[in-house]
Amino acid sequence: MIRSLRLAAAVPALLLLLGSPRAASGFDLPRTREVRLPNGALVILAEKHDIPMIAFRAILRCGGLADAPGKEGEAAITVGLLRKGAGKRTAQEIAALVDGLGADLDTGAGLEHSYIAGEFMSRDQGVMLDLLADLLRRPAFPQEEFEKLKSQTIDGIKADKDDPRNVIGEYGYAFLYGDHPYGRPVDGDEATNRGLTRDDVLRYYRENYGGDRLILSVVGDFSAPTMETRIRAKFSDWAKAPGPAPQAPPVTRGAGHRVLLVDKPDATQTYFWLATIGVARSDPDRVALDIANTAYGGRYTSILNTALRIEGGLTYGAAIRGPRYTQAGPLAVISYTKTETTGKAVDLALETLESVRRAGIDSTALVATKTFMVGQFPPRLETEDQIAGSLADLAFYGLEKEELEHYTDRVLATRPEEVKRVLERVYPPSEDITYVFVGKAAAIRSVVRKYGPVTEVPITDPMLSRLEPAAKR
Amino acid sequence: MKHRQFSWIAIVSTLVLLAGPSRAAAPPGSGPSPREIRTHVLANGMKILVWPDHDIPNVAVYDWFHVGSRNERPGITGLSHFFEHMMFNGSEHYPPGSFDRLMEQNGGSTNAFTSEDVTCYQDWFPKSILELVFRLEADRICCLSFDPKKVESERQVVYSERRTSVDNDNESLLDEQVQAAAYVGHPYHNPVIGWPGDIERWTIDDLRAYFKVHYAPNNATMIVVGDVTPEEVFRLAEQYFGPIPAVPQPTDRVTQEPPQVGERRVSIRKFGQTPLLEMAFHTGAAGDKDAEARDLLVDILGSGESSRLYRRLVDQDRLAIGVSAYVNPEGFDPGLIKLAVTVAPDKTLAASEAALLDELSKLAATGPTEQELRKAKNGALAGYWRGLKTINAKAEVLGTYEVIEGDYRKLFTAPERYERVTRAEIQALARRTFDEKNRTVGTLVPEKEQAAR
Repeated sequence: MIRSLRLAAAVPALLLLLGSPRAASGFDLPRTREVRLPNGALVILAEKHDIPMIAFRAILRCGGLADAPGKEGEAAITVGLLRKGAGKRTAQEIAALVDGLGADLDTGAGLEHSYIAGEFMSRDQGVMLDLLADLLRRPAFPQEEFEKLKSQTIDGIKADKDDPRNVIGEYGYAFLYGDHPYGRPVDGDEATNRGLTRDDVLRYYRENYGGDRLILSVVGDFSAPTMETRIRAKFSDWAKAPGPAPQAPPVTRGAGHRVLLVDKPDATQTYFWLATIGVARSDPDRVALDIANTAYGGRYTSILNTALRIEGGLTYGAAIRGPRYTQAGPLAVISYTKTETTGKAVDLALETLESVRRAGIDSTALVATKTFMVGQFPPRLETEDQIAGSLADLAFYGLEKEELEHYTDRVLATRPEEVKRVLERVYPPSEDITYVFVGKAAAIRSVVRKYGPVTEVPITDPMLSRLEPAAKR
Repeated sequence: MKHRQFSWIAIVSTLVLLAGPSRAAAPPGSGPSPREIRTHVLANGMKILVWPDHDIPNVAVYDWFHVGSRNERPGITGLSHFFEHMMFNGSEHYPPGSFDRLMEQNGGSTNAFTSEDVTCYQDWFPKSILELVFRLEADRICCLSFDPKKVESERQVVYSERRTSVDNDNESLLDEQVQAAAYVGHPYHNPVIGWPGDIERWTIDDLRAYFKVHYAPNNATMIVVGDVTPEEVFRLAEQYFGPIPAVPQPTDRVTQEPPQVGERRVSIRKFGQTPLLEMAFHTGAAGDKDAEARDLLVDILGSGESSRLYRRLVDQDRLAIGVSAYVNPEGFDPGLIKLAVTVAPDKTLAASEAALLDELSKLAATGPTEQELRKAKNGALAGYWRGLKTINAKAEVLGTYEVIEGDYRKLFTAPERYERVTRAEIQALARRTFDEKNRTVGTLVPEKEQAAR
């Protein structure tokens, strides 16, 4: 029984983690209180009292960017180990505490940040803040827990490969970005994880965790002055990290087309990911691109989904996703279709892409898209955890709160020619697309060859981080 | 459940969500009260529940029909879900595609899901288009039509959905086999999405027959949560749904599952890297006398890193990468408690099975500790509040209580019910349930090469 966690149609997947949040006319965010601690940590507080719960998000500037070369996965295992022993508590005691309170605690790493997110009942704020401070400042990194998590990570990567939906993006980033740090798998691959030692984790933690790297947002049923006092007491004297946060170099958008074919011999359908380098989070045309993406592939009646699903019957769904980071993220068309219709579905996707790039989006569709985006905006900022995540995300990218508060105004004010211009600038011509396929190679090898020089790997290959392009252009 | 639209996001925490709506416990202090909810029944039997919530200027409408794969017979399995898709494909007044186009161009979005027991149509929209939503929802109940070309193209969409969510997803593939083995007579035997051979053969006449019987206003319950007043909702309901005539409903005669009298085993061998184990035990229907004890039992076994199964199989013995425990189906008829284990690739299925059985018999032998019970109750309390976080969540939890369990007010009395559960009750339930004769065991054995077909 599959139950999709489905955001309303328009939201690019990675928005859940760090994405372009949106705000609505006629609807206000809770008032925020921003505090800069002496060590540089940024704390953002917002009271919201409709239910007795509190959500928080702690972001640290580091993530996969700070992994040593060949040690991909360091950021992920480091943040994962925080809950496996910290302060006076063992891994088992932390789990018992969190579960015992009915709280949620989630840790993870992204390309440029690591995070701890959580949600708990407001009556437990004292003990949960103590725990957060222990996790960030006093992790124990027990050898045994390190060994366990390492083998679970390796096994988890294998398990993920049994469902192509889990891994196609990983292959995509690696193949699209090549040597750029965004091409390095944040969770590592089986081979890099095998090489990790506890000393690597200690080094990673020592170099990357510290007060100046922290953004902490807390939203929910509490008193802001009291919460501020508690947080000051817990984090003001946390030393800074020894060096500056790592920065990704700008991404240069390459030309030419190439194909990665990942062979999964039992697949009865082909999963595809057709991508180019998109834009950075701070891109001046970001709202216009949101509109273009929503119209093209970000809602049920989008141009892409209409062609492939509604009219074509070729797939259960097709979408475009454009996550953004400090530097340009990918812009990818994703879908799947039965093995036999691989070429047909991909050709149709390419046709829609080319047509929207050349002709733009007609004015009726543009108005409809804007109305859709405005109407679907408020539920994105309805809950404590959504707001905490969005506030931390804005701060991380140096954007102001008004980015959210005036988002829908900006959507409505965007002119058709701005959308047309951004489509021409960002959407790829068909000769400049990077293709990733996961499917039954024996059946589709000859089909995918026509899209460019092919690199083929078996899905069981333990290496992901060093995919060689098939041919230099 | 099968959803009409896909998402690439969701794959991770699916099993956690399943435990969602039915978990609830005592809110401290002044929580919400049933007095916030207003109900109205139209002359044709359609029931409408309204829960005003003015936090955001949006509305969630969940329109539930009492029909699911439970109502199917051999030959038309999956038809309820296929029908759900066809509800978006045109009526006498609106050509195919216009339902979604009108909704989206006016700021709304839609989806739907089908389970073994119900089909639910969901609309999320700004409050300004409330009337449009009523017009469209009523229109497709009154006047749905079937375009033969759309039937064929939507059939391919559903087949693609099956390939994605079952055939190319080992966990779902195994679960389908386990559930089919656990039920030999009751229609819970059949997957909600349908067996492939039936997907290929549904006819337009099957759809018409289904529509005539099941899509009557007296078979529907509509939940409206958000920035509305009950008065405007009831007025629109009278105006748009009022004129649609009631249809006598057939007697609900579903084959009862005969008692299981011995272990059943199923096995799948296919290409893959990770062995999977799933065990299923027959249990009661949603909302029966054991409902709260069952939720807590499942929570103690599989929820979080402090749960018994995680601690034993993942943490201590390092046999598995992940475990989950959940109830499914959880509907009108007796369902299953399912325990699923993602086995570490270099470990054996046999070792995981032995450890899992050992934990189940321990729980049956001595029951949970007082601390475990407290933890599970706190989890239920937090779950209760999470169910009230959004207008969507409220519509879902309210609808689940009203439609599946027969009374929305159970949401608000759940507090005391969870709090009252004792260790002895959980132990007794574990002892009754985790019996070898009541067990179905499924394994997925990965093979290095795909066998030629």
